[in-house]
Formats: sequence, structure tokens, C-alpha cells
Amino acid sequence: MTFARIMRSLLLAGSVICALGTPLTVHARPGVVALEKNQYLRGDFTMNRHLSGFNDGLKSQGEFVLVPGAGLIWQTNAPFPGTTVLGPGGIVNIDADGDRTRLGTGAAQFGIFVDLISSVLAGNWSALENRFHVEFSPPGDTTWQVKLTPFGESAIGGQITDIIATGDTFVQQVRLNKPGGDFDDITLTQQHAENLPLPKEKADLLPKAASK
Amino acid sequence: MTGRHATIWIMCLVMAAAWCAWQIGGGHTRIDSDFISLIGQENPDDTGKFNDINAVRHILAQDSRQAIFMVSAPNRDRATNAAADLAGRLSWINGTEKVTTPDDRAGRLPELMAFLQPHAAALLSPQDRKTLLADKGGQIYQRTVQNLYSPASTVNARSLQQDPFSLLPQYLGALAGYMGEGGGVVSQNGRYYVPVVASLDPRLAGSDRDAQWVGDANTAVNALNRNSDINVTRTGQVFFAAAEASHAKADVQRIALLATSGIVFMVGLVFFSWGPLLAALITLASGILAGITAITIIFGTVHAIAMVFGSSLIGIAVDYALHYVSIDPARGSAHQRLRLILPGLTLGLLTSVVGFAALSISPTILLTQIAIYSVAGLIGAYLTVIFLLPFLPVQPVRNYLPIRRSVAILQYVQYRITPPTWGRLSLVVIILAGFGASTFFIKGDDNIRNLGRGNTDLIAQTNTIRHILGMGASPMFLRIDGPTAENRLQTEEALRTRLTPLLKNGALDGMVTLADIIPSQKRQAENIDLVKTGLYQPYGPKLAAIVPVDLKLPSSATSSFLRPDDASLHVLPELANLQSGDSDLVRLRGVQDVSALKNALQDIDNAHLIDPASAISKLFGQYRHWAYLALGVAMFAALVLAMFRYGLRDGICVFGAPAGAVLCALAGSFALGVPHNFFTTMALFLVFAIGADYVLFLAESRHSSHDQDTSLAVLLSLISSVLAFGLLATSSVPLVSEIGIVIAIGLIAAWVLAPVMAGRRSANPAGIPDAQQTNPDTLMTKDGTADDQI
Repeated sequence: MTFARIMRSLLLAGSVICALGTPLTVHARPGVVALEKNQYLRGDFTMNRHLSGFNDGLKSQGEFVLVPGAGLIWQTNAPFPGTTVLGPGGIVNIDADGDRTRLGTGAAQFGIFVDLISSVLAGNWSALENRFHVEFSPPGDTTWQVKLTPFGESAIGGQITDIIATGDTFVQQVRLNKPGGDFDDITLTQQHAENLPLPKEKADLLPKAASK
Repeated sequence: MTGRHATIWIMCLVMAAAWCAWQIGGGHTRIDSDFISLIGQENPDDTGKFNDINAVRHILAQDSRQAIFMVSAPNRDRATNAAADLAGRLSWINGTEKVTTPDDRAGRLPELMAFLQPHAAALLSPQDRKTLLADKGGQIYQRTVQNLYSPASTVNARSLQQDPFSLLPQYLGALAGYMGEGGGVVSQNGRYYVPVVASLDPRLAGSDRDAQWVGDANTAVNALNRNSDINVTRTGQVFFAAAEASHAKADVQRIALLATSGIVFMVGLVFFSWGPLLAALITLASGILAGITAITIIFGTVHAIAMVFGSSLIGIAVDYALHYVSIDPARGSAHQRLRLILPGLTLGLLTSVVGFAALSISPTILLTQIAIYSVAGLIGAYLTVIFLLPFLPVQPVRNYLPIRRSVAILQYVQYRITPPTWGRLSLVVIILAGFGASTFFIKGDDNIRNLGRGNTDLIAQTNTIRHILGMGASPMFLRIDGPTAENRLQTEEALRTRLTPLLKNGALDGMVTLADIIPSQKRQAENIDLVKTGLYQPYGPKLAAIVPVDLKLPSSATSSFLRPDDASLHVLPELANLQSGDSDLVRLRGVQDVSALKNALQDIDNAHLIDPASAISKLFGQYRHWAYLALGVAMFAALVLAMFRYGLRDGICVFGAPAGAVLCALAGSFALGVPHNFFTTMALFLVFAIGADYVLFLAESRHSSHDQDTSLAVLLSLISSVLAFGLLATSSVPLVSEIGIVIAIGLIAAWVLAPVMAGRRSANPAGIPDAQQTNPDTLMTKDGTADDQI
């Protein structure tokens, strides 16, 4: 969720490099570059989910597609195939057989995930700053780091302790620390921006109006 | 009426003033202007109706504490940021208890999870229950595994121990859907809509502070609406109440200013002295003081409607003062003048007191309060006229005015048109027949929706919010009865099954029951067994192979069930909306087909469909019937008093004047399309009381030297009453205007009928055509001779 927000904003930076020849919107802070309206970002991920009290983490791998304003497609290939789509309409799980399950239909508790991702997709740091203390590390030659700490009274504060993202032109690593000692480590690789429309098999996963 | 009496009475009034200041100023007696608190204060025999009203009262009280705002913008961030801005502004307003945005609701997730996770196996969403009943637990297992690796998963070490199959998030999601919260942010037609809900201090409703709160909230809304891309709409009882109160207040203030100016001008012009004006003011003030004193002694809380109607007795009290000050000072000393009017004044008081006391025969607290206020107030005004007014300076009517001459002419006209006794008795028969006919032609209309002015802008905003967010006013609800909480929960579960087709075909937009949040223990036990046999036993080992979690088989025999108790209420305050005393309430959203709903409920004995507006309208219908009965008793008492005083035939004729005025008000207002409800019936009371005063004053003076003074007093009284009440007819608020129309028609009719029904006075009171006496001053001292004595 919040990770996706971070991820998106950082991923957006990659589009600057990838979309040569196109005008770019560069924000004042490091690692924040917006995708153009007609672009999306895709790449691979590895996620390690560490749960306190369990010796072995839950490791998964797959690929993702990020479409500003439309949502995030999170396709897990291993250990079990499955897709999670986070869009304006909510969160939908699609299993290997293509059966869809909407998670937390209509619940504001779950809608918050989508809201946060949408904020990131828009490349809007001010939206993040409404919910997080944002600390930027001094920009280095090639890499940077952002630490997001939720406000104590915020909704997200009960679920995430802090988020640390690092990257260069793209986000490369995100750690989501959660209450109780749980944390997710996400590594993003092979990222590149491409022009819309999405390939049909991806477009079918997103809400119709949004995938165009 | 000595100085000692006056001193004692002044001391009484001073003590009364001190008492009222201590009671009301010190907060010992509360002035309650909350409309909701008015209802449900009765003890009718019909327990069902009592429960209906109590439930309506509970629902309205809950809804009145909520103001809903909808912030929209072209993009999500702009909308959520504006919503956060609005929430911040609202939270600073005095009277705001809490402001909730989708973010805040999401913030409840950890607390809800912690509270509900131990009961996760017992709380299945309808979809999961359906899946398990169909023996398709594999689908849930698949979802569980996928969720373990989802970036948006809420899985943690604790949830894996207590809810390894992530059933609870599904249950919470379904719950939010039932409650109409939507997904928080709604996207529609290229705009994003964010709800912001303000919970208000319960003390705000019905207090003057609610208007201030609405004003501050509107300022916050307007500040955001100044941004061209942002639009904020709002709904909630507090906005409607403030809008109605604002219109009514503006109208009443305008009318009060005009009426007061008019009365002051009239008294000043007629007497050219501050004495009569002071007499009128003292009489009014002491009447109101006596009324408030009596009512605060007896009741701990006084309703504003009782105060307003009670205060309307100023229309009668001012008559007492005018009656005294209109007597020409040339007729003798103050005490001699007082003695001239005392019989009429006393009879008028008795009639009014009996009339208003009749109101207390109803079981309604409101009518009892009005009765006590009015009776005490009238007695207070009467005593002030007797004890204090003789000590005030008086002035005769100014001779330069044509008013005496006008009164003389009017008296002559009345003399000419006054029929003989048989004619007046016939008129009384016609009046009584008119009452009989009116019961057939004039039907009551107690619909409270017709009382207010209505605010089209607020109604439009309410509809928009309801359409987009599914939130806002949902007037209809169901009351579920049952001997135990478990019994009611089971009824609600059966009810959902029964109403599901209506939800699917659009006859009903949505509903939420207590059982949706906390299933019955029977259902929870079933759920646990389903989860055990459909999930844990077949898929538990598979899940344990992925996550090294120590799965403990749930058991309905050993599990503790979730109950609708205080602990649940603490975590889920929404439950308060779904309970009222020993009944549960089912909130409905968007009832599109009432008859289909009624049909579906036909054989569910413990479920009762309640429409708050209809329930309150019925209650006011009952009030109206009590008021009719009391009016009938008052008229009968007046008849008996009149017959006792004037004999059988003359008494009947005298009684005919106020009765005729009431009939004219009834018929005239009906002809003008005024609906007859409790409030217009109370206006008839006023017509009756003032009309009785007119005829009694005239009847008492008809063979006396001060006959023309009395006619003048009655004319001045009519002018002042029409100024005070008749101007209400110009109000833009239907309720106020309707009361004004009824009173205006009634009082004019009473003024016309009073001298006619009081019997013929002198053979030629003005002497205009025959005696050719044109000097009113001469006429004043001429005693009338009896003619057509009954």
C-alpha cells in the first residue's frame, strides 16, 4: 500500500530516463519524477515478508505494472501464481484460474490502500506529507533514500511503523516496518517506462476506463 | 384594592422574577427547544405505539448528532486534501465532538481487528458463509494463500495465529458495505467524492448553539467552495433545523417589530399618554412571569413550544389592560372604574381558565405545560389589572381623534343588525350545525412535512449525497421486538434472508441490522462448525506447510461468542444506532418500493416498519384530537357559565359568539386551504378565549354607562390582536402563517359576532339618524336604555 505509493513515486523517476525526448516534470525533491500521462511503468519484484515469531519469511517473486491514475498490477509468479490489482475501485485478487475476489468490498479500511497508491501514482509529495513525516537523505551521486514515518494519529499509523525507500533513477528497495516487529522487504528490478496502451492481457486486469 | 394589596402583589411578582431567574438562569429548569424531546413523553395504552415513538425518538436523536459533508474535486488527492482541510476546520468548531474521514475510519482497523480476531471463526461474511455452505472452502484457501503474498495484505503474526484464513477482513468489508460507508472515496463522472462526518455534542440539538454551529460550519464550507475545482455539499438534521429556525425567527422578528410598533403607535395615538402603554406592558409582563413561575415550579424541563403558546396569552392579557384603561376617567375613581369592569373581567378570566385548564385533561406533557402556563399567566395578568393598574395614571381617549365617533357608528350598525332573541338563538343553532358539518368536510392534516418551509437547496444536497455516497437521511426503519437479544438477532437474520430479493431488485437500496455486525449465538456456532469442517480440517495442514503456524481447531462448544454488550458498544459505537431499549432497530436505505417491503414483512410478527415522519404525524394527530376534546369541554364550560350568569336563552346567545368565531376560523381557514393540525387547533383555542372575552365584556356593559368604553376597548383589543397575531399570516413559514390566518379570521369574526350575540344595547346608542346627536362626548355620558331584554 504505502510501499506502493513510495514505489510509484520512485519508479516515476525512471520514466525520465526511459522516455527520452519527452518533456519531464521534475519535482524539487530527490527521486520524484512524474511519468508522462501516456506512460506506464513495469518491472520485476521480489518480496520477503518477515513475520515476528516465524523463523522463515514468506518470499515471493513476480512482476508489476504501474499505470498512473488506474492502479497497480502485482503478479506473483512464485511460489504460487496469482495477481492482486489495486485500483480506484478497491483491491481485487485474481487466482491462477482467473477467478476474481474483491477484498474488503466497500470498506474504507481497505480503500485507504488504494488512496495512498493513487497519491503516489500522481507523483504528489504533498499528498504523502499529509500522512507522513518525509525525510530525504542528502542526494548522493547516484542513490538517495527517503524515510516516511506516519503521523501518530493517522489511519496508516496503526499498520505501518515506517517506510524506507532507496533508489537511483528508480526505486530499488523498499522496507515497510510494521508494528509488532513484522516487516516487508521489496526489491524492484528490470524497471522501464513504456507508452500506453497496456498489452491486452494486462489491460484486462484493470478497470476498463482506466486502462486506456 | 388598597396600596397594601398592590405592595403584596408587587412583592409576589418580584419573588416570582427572582425565582424564574434562579431557575432558568441558574440552569435548574431547562428550556428545551429540541423537537425530539417532545415526543415519547406520553403514556398511551397502546404499548406498540409507545415503542414506535420511543424508537423514532431514539433514531432522530442519533441522526441529529451527525452532520455529513461530501467534498468533491477533479482528482483524488485534491479531494482527500480538501476533506482533511474541512475536517480540521470542523473539529475546531465549538460543539463538534468528533470528525471522521475515510482515513480515520481506516484508522479504526487495528482496534477492530484486535477486538474481533478472537471471534474470527464465528464472524463470516455472507459470501464466505455461502462458499463454505457450498463446500467450496478451497476458494477461501486460495484467497488466503494469495493474500499472504499480496502487497496490500494486513496479515501479521498475530492475525495468522487467530485468523489464519483471513476471514475477518472479508467480514469487515461486508460490514462497511452494510453500513453504507462506501469505499471511503467514490469516483463518479470524472470527480472524486470524499465523505466527512461530524459527530455533534448531544447538548447541541435544540439549543441556540446549533445555529451557531451551522453558521461556523457553513463558513468552513464556503471557504473551501471558494476554490473553483472544489465543491462541498452537506446534509443532516442540524442544517434543516437551523434553516427552518432561521426563517421562522426572521419572520417572527419582523412581525414582532411591526406588531409592537403598531400597538405602541395605536395606544400612544389613542391615549396620548404613557400610562395606558405602561399598564398594558405591566399586565403582559406579569402574566408571562406568573406563567413561567408556575411552569418552572412544576416541571424540571419546559418545552419551548409550551413557552411560545403560553406566551400567546398576551393576546388575552393585553385585553384585560385595554379593558381597564379604556374606561373614561370621568366615570369615577380608579376603584370605581375597576368595579365597572370587574364582572366582565372575572367572567372572561373564568372562561379562559376553564378553557385552557381543559387542555390538561390530555396525557401529553406538552398540553399540560401549555395549560398550566396559560392558566397561571391569565390569573397573574388579572391580578395585576386589579391590584396595580388603579395606581397608574390614566388619560381619556383623545377627543381630536375620530375613534369615539367611529365606535359610536359601529355600535349603531351593530344595533341595527342585531337580530331579536329568536334570531340569535337560530344563529347559535346554525353555528352548532356548522360544527357538525365541519366534522364531515374538514379533515385533519397532521403531516409534519407540511409544517416547515422546506429548503430546496438542502434537499438537493441531501439527495446528491445519498445518491453518490449512499449516506444521509434514511427515514424509514424497522423495529424488531423479542424477549431476548438472541431472539431478536435470529429474527434479524431471517429478515435479511427475506429482504435479500428486494435488495437485489432495487426495491431497497440497503439495510443494516445488529445481526449483521454481531450474529446470533446460533449463527456464530454454525459459522464455527462450518469453518472447522470446511476450512481447518481440509486445508489447515496445507496452510501450515506454507506458514509454520500452529493451527488450533475452533470449537463451537468452547468458543466464547461475541455479544451486543458494553464491550462491543465501546469498540463499535455504531451499535447504538441499532438498539432502542428492549428493541433492535434495522436501518433502511433508499426504500424505493414500500408496498413490496410491507409484503415481505407480512408474516414476520416481530418486525414493524416505522416511518418517523408518519409516526410523529400520528402523534400530533393524537394531540390534535385531545385539543379538539379540550376545546369542546371549554366551550361547554363557557356555555354553562354564560347560562348561569345571563339565563338560559341569553347565555346560549352569548356562548354563540366565541363558538361562532371558532367556526368561522375553522371554515375560513379551510376555504383558504389551511391544513388543520394540532397547531391550528391551538390557534382556535386562542380565538375562543379572546372571542369569549369580547362578548363577555360587551354583555356585562350593555346597559351600563361605560358601554361605549367597552366597545372601544374591544376595538382596540381587536387591532392589537390582529397586529400581534394576524401579521403571522404573512410569514413564509407555513406553520406560522397558518396559525396567523386562523387567528386573524377568528378574531375578526369574534369582533363582529360579540356585540350581535351580546344582545341589543341601547335603542339608539349613537343617536346618529334619529336623535341627530353628533357629539361623541355627549354620547359618552348617555346611559343606554334596555331594549329587547331577554
